[in-house]
Amino acid sequence: MKIKFRIILAILFVGLAFASCKKDYPVDEDGLLVTTRQECYVSSFELLGTDFVTVRTKTAAIDTTALTIKVEVLFGTDLKNLYPQFTLATDCKLDPKITGKTDFSDLAHPRKWTVVSGDRKIRKEYTVLVTVQP
Amino acid sequence: MLRKIFISVLIPCTAFLLLLSACKKDPYALPVAKDVLQNDVIKRNMGPNVTGTAIEFAYAMALPRSKGKLVSAEVEATIAGGAGTYMDNNSYYTANGADVPVKVGDPSVTSGTKTTVNFTVDTPAATLRYFYIVPAAAKGQTVSFTFTAKASDGETVSYKMGPYSISKMDMIRNITVKDGGAMFVSIADSTVYTAATLGANAAKVDLIYLYRTPANKTFAHALVAPAADTQYLPGVVLPTGVNKNTKILKVFNLQDHQLAPTLQPGIYVDDPDFQQLDMSTAPNFAINLKAEAGVWVETADGKWRAYIFINSIDNANKSAVISMKRYPVQ
Repeated sequence: MKIKFRIILAILFVGLAFASCKKDYPVDEDGLLVTTRQECYVSSFELLGTDFVTVRTKTAAIDTTALTIKVEVLFGTDLKNLYPQFTLATDCKLDPKITGKTDFSDLAHPRKWTVVSGDRKIRKEYTVLVTVQP
Repeated sequence: MLRKIFISVLIPCTAFLLLLSACKKDPYALPVAKDVLQNDVIKRNMGPNVTGTAIEFAYAMALPRSKGKLVSAEVEATIAGGAGTYMDNNSYYTANGADVPVKVGDPSVTSGTKTTVNFTVDTPAATLRYFYIVPAAAKGQTVSFTFTAKASDGETVSYKMGPYSISKMDMIRNITVKDGGAMFVSIADSTVYTAATLGANAAKVDLIYLYRTPANKTFAHALVAPAADTQYLPGVVLPTGVNKNTKILKVFNLQDHQLAPTLQPGIYVDDPDFQQLDMSTAPNFAINLKAEAGVWVETADGKWRAYIFINSIDNANKSAVISMKRYPVQ
């Protein structure tokens, strides 16, 4: 009776040990969770000046089909020193990452960012088109 | 059997005894005052030590009544203080949150690096406040203080404070700028000129203040370099020689406590901020400036960096009140 009890305990212990080592979800190279979500879009966009105050004249126009973000900024905006802020669909990430001030002064060559879906399989490149208030 | 006794009797007894001893109160004994003249100092102000501002201390000294009375209090600074350096000849106590002065001595006498108060009342204890006005000569150096009290029995006691770093920067507060009037700002001269007073100082003008309300645009209060694009200087006729290309970077929520004493205690712009400032991509204009906003500035020759704070704006009079901290880069 005692031996049976010990065997059952040992089996339970080994089973638990295996279960504890199981990985539920994989993570990507940034340590972010890779999920099953396939949504891949920008839901809102903000542009801040060096004083961390918005420079937009109105809400940015995001076209998720044409993959463009059109934003008009105030007259006198310092285009070389702006902080863009993207709001993305759940579990998405941005490539390249925004690490600080971004130069938008070359209006002929608009800046581009790629949105990557939660399952990391869908990539959509958005173009940010900045115009200055006339 | 022995084991049973150990578990059922000895352990509970020990635990009970430990409990009793843990709750025992140590008897309180009144502290015995030292039979000597004693002193202590606290520094009463915060922030960078800038030329013209005061470093404030409270110097407390006391001796047993049986030993006599206080005769004098003296502070010696390693660098002589600026005009206005003094030690208060009042000791203070607090009543309903307010400081109530009690005169204890003659007004202080400052001679060179020393400031002295001679007591005129018979008191064994006092706390005197010392205000050291940072002199221009101390810029970029450190200053230390030795506080000394003397008692009637000949005993003296001293307390050293410091060293304290003195900022290289200086500041000027509450200058009124006005569109069409005092609108030519010189960082090097730390002043504002009108077209009439500009004279031979045209080449020293780093910024132009203007206020505009164009249709369909937000312009309002602005600080613009003379060399900026004319679209940022609408209607401005530049006097001959006003042509500097100053770098300007807008900031907000940086309410320096020395430039705006009524706001945000604890925020200070200091020398390291100017040293670490990156103005390489800064533009030469800042428009739509709001009250309590500010701008970082670097002069065209790179000799000066400054932080200009907008204390207040007056749209009706097309004017603003600004304060400035400036730092010599070279």
